[in-house]
Amino acid sequence: MVFSVQAQKTNKVQKIDSIPLINGVTVQADVASIISSAFTSKETYSSEVAVQVDLKHKYFPILEVGYAGANKISNENITFQTNGMFSRLGVDLNLLTPKKDQKPTTNLFLAGLRLGMSSFKYNFNNFIITDTYWGGSETLNYTNISNTKIWYEIVLGIRVEVVKNIFMGWSVRTKNLLNQDVTGQISPWYIPGYGINNGSSWGLNYTIGYKLNIHSKIPIVKIKPGSEVKKKSSKITK
Amino acid sequence: MKNYILGFLILCLIIISSCTADQQCRENKTVNSKIGFYHVDKKSTDNTITTSPLTIDSISIRGLIYNNTTKIYVLMDSLLYKSALTKSNVLLPLNKFSSISKFEIAFNNKIKDTISVLYEKSDQYLSLDCGCIKVFEIDTVLTTNHFIDSIRITNHTVNTTNAENIHLYK
Repeated sequence: MVFSVQAQKTNKVQKIDSIPLINGVTVQADVASIISSAFTSKETYSSEVAVQVDLKHKYFPILEVGYAGANKISNENITFQTNGMFSRLGVDLNLLTPKKDQKPTTNLFLAGLRLGMSSFKYNFNNFIITDTYWGGSETLNYTNISNTKIWYEIVLGIRVEVVKNIFMGWSVRTKNLLNQDVTGQISPWYIPGYGINNGSSWGLNYTIGYKLNIHSKIPIVKIKPGSEVKKKSSKITK
Repeated sequence: MKNYILGFLILCLIIISSCTADQQCRENKTVNSKIGFYHVDKKSTDNTITTSPLTIDSISIRGLIYNNTTKIYVLMDSLLYKSALTKSNVLLPLNKFSSISKFEIAFNNKIKDTISVLYEKSDQYLSLDCGCIKVFEIDTVLTTNHFIDSIRITNHTVNTTNAENIHLYK
């Protein structure tokens, strides 16, 4: 009887440790940004890639980097132009927990946070100010204005393995700026990686990724026979 | 896999439908200084002063612009107010490309006064659709005293808030 309890405990410990700390690295590219860039007729364009590490199949730290820009002309012929790199660092949490005594599934239901940043320059030209009573007009041009924006994102998404090591996934995200613009001062219409700068923004990603089988060594836990039972009994005595 | 392709198609539709048309400017772009008329009552018994809004029966206003060749201020052709009836305040546009605006005000089509508004101007960005506007910070106001007794700045900032900036006292 004592032996059977020990055997169960040993099995449990082995199961937890059967998932290595680094359980694969996925390299993925976003397809949605490329498709939406085509539909916005180059008014806004974006492309991004990401590297995500699987830690214990529970935590998924991610680094997303990309390039985005905008060429926009308003109804009043005001022109806005920008382009620049952006990066987002964050972590996803796998909300799917494997059932008891089952191997964890390769499909993922992820919820996560990102911290995004972009340093970019923009041109905002052809602001025409006219005086209808006194007469006269003036054109304001703002060129090569440097700006750095930081924002956070809340992400929700799924990822499935379609072919061995090939993953597809989609995610939705809300974005909120951490450094807001000063009212009345010139501010960018579009922020690379964030989108149109009009309050909070949202984003949709559709990714295709390849999982590289990079694994860390499974730590060998030596369990002395009867150690678990001892631990438990010591707790009871407390 | 089939469900996944369907999901992808729905996603594409969302992206297409999210492409909104260009918007028209819906913000207020008009920036005028607002001048209110007040009556001052001084009681001889206890020397207390009270002010009350004053309604002008008929008012005509036009700007005075500096002529660079003749070096004198000349009246603008168009009137801002033409024999406007029962006015207790008026909206006057400040010159966007000068730091002084002069107005000739004819009270009840008889007595005329000239007021001068001196200010600093700056550019204010609204949005891509609305562009930029000029806003003003009034330094000084001056007046002749044919009808008007005194003049006072009550709110230095002239922007889209529509607050009263200057009080004219009779």
